[in-house]
Amino acid sequence: MNTQLCAIKGSRDGLVVTISDAARFAEVLTALEEQLIASESFFQGSTVKLLVRQGTLSPSQLDQIERIITRYGMNLDRQPPSWGLTAAAREAPVPAARSEVEHNTLLVKRTIRSGQRLHYDGNVVVMGDVNPGAEVVCTGDILVLGSLRGVAHAGAEGKTDAIVFAFRLEPTQLRIAHVISRAPDEKLPQPQGPEIARVVGDRIQLSVYNH
Amino acid sequence: MGKVIVITSGKGGVGKTTTTANIGTGLAALGQKVCLVDTDIGLRNLDVVMGLENRIVYDLLHVVEGQCRLRQALIKDKQFGDRLVLLPAPQTREKDAVTPEQMKELMKELREEYDFVLLDSPAGIEHGFKNAVAGADHAIVVTTPEIAAVRDADRIIGLLEAAELYDPQLIINRVRPGMVRRGDMMSIGDIDDILAIEILGVVPDDQDIIVSTNRGEPVVTNPKSRAGQAYRNIARRLLGEEVPLMNLEERKVMHWFKRLLSGEAQ
Ligand SMILES: Nc1ncnc2c1ncn2[C@@H]1O[C@H](COP(=O)(O)OP(=O)(O)OP(=O)(O)O)[C@@H](O)[C@H]1O
Ligand SMILES: [Mg+2]
Repeated sequence: MNTQLCAIKGSRDGLVVTISDAARFAEVLTALEEQLIASESFFQGSTVKLLVRQGTLSPSQLDQIERIITRYGMNLDRQPPSWGLTAAAREAPVPAARSEVEHNTLLVKRTIRSGQRLHYDGNVVVMGDVNPGAEVVCTGDILVLGSLRGVAHAGAEGKTDAIVFAFRLEPTQLRIAHVISRAPDEKLPQPQGPEIARVVGDRIQLSVYNH
Repeated sequence: MGKVIVITSGKGGVGKTTTTANIGTGLAALGQKVCLVDTDIGLRNLDVVMGLENRIVYDLLHVVEGQCRLRQALIKDKQFGDRLVLLPAPQTREKDAVTPEQMKELMKELREEYDFVLLDSPAGIEHGFKNAVAGADHAIVVTTPEIAAVRDADRIIGLLEAAELYDPQLIINRVRPGMVRRGDMMSIGDIDDILAIEILGVVPDDQDIIVSTNRGEPVVTNPKSRAGQAYRNIARRLLGEEVPLMNLEERKVMHWFKRLLSGEAQ
């Protein structure tokens, strides 16, 4: 994958697609597609900005890029990012490099709604709810400071000691590593407080969280 | 400059068109200048609900393609004249005949002239949805108290955020207090718990709506109808008035309204 030519990065100004050399436009397009395929629908619904390091894009080239971006469910904001060129180099790419997986934590300060999927290499903290029909998948732990009613998959690459925590843990389905459990078909009494889910033996066990 | 509001839902048949017609008529009755725009290309029916079907000559597509002037395509309401006009959707053309950019341009023009421009959006999340939200600066999401409808409303709220339409407001339509009381229907509290957006109004399930739809006279003009009252309240809230949510039926229903009103922070 040609990450040198075209990269999608998270920054304090939102998502930014960085293009290192506008002159190699055809290659840029393939690289962009590759990146978007690899990211699955992680970026879906977000707005991205464009940063061109070298050269400029013609309006029709911009249109071509916009079409690709729209096809993957994102919107293009044609305003350049506010922090300009130099700061861009310092931003960490998303998804992060393999070696730092354990240490990365993504903080999401909004509710994840039906149809939205969040994939992350590392831990995820959601300050909001994960609604029915929404999905959070990550390689580490999942902490929801709100209600978890959708699908959560912690330790997605086999980390069986990963945990899922929520103020109200009422998921449609919980997965930790390779273990899956679903909500019982009959209605359960609502949890009274924060709960934590972990793998015990070959099953997922919920317990009241006490610190 | 007027406000452009899109009325949308995700799930079909929950009452977007009924809501658009009634809020529009309600606002006109309060002295506002209102333009209703039907963006449901190929499945238009706002004209039918407004009882204006037989007056259509030009439509939205003729306007954006420059085949007629905007003024020529706007149909005056039977009761409110040029204070309430309708721009109908083309019935026979492809769904993607109109682009979001064209919609934006059109909205610019309309908001100069009208206090409120209300866009009736098609169901779903595709091209028609994108057209409907393109020129809007505010969104109203309609749902019924059913799990599938609430789920789709949630999806739409996510997509509205992605389209940078923040803080949408919610209308819960077709509520049946008796069923809620028996635990057979989601309560307003249940819905608020999931969607967590501002509730603009609650409309009861009401046979008057069917009668008035068939007559082409929005129920909001019927002083005796409970749904009409709910829509009148919504129109006043849109003008910034503080109108408490209506008590849909007997006293027993009060407790879930109380829960709602005191439950902003959940
Ligand atoms: N509060 C209500 N009480 C009774 N019937 C209602 C109510 N609201 C809507 N209806 C009926 O439900 C049906 C669907 O309403 P409407 O056409 O407004 O929905 P819509 O969301 O615009 O549908 P579509 O997605 O097909 O455009 C209509 O027959 C209408 O008369
Ligand atoms: Mg409709």
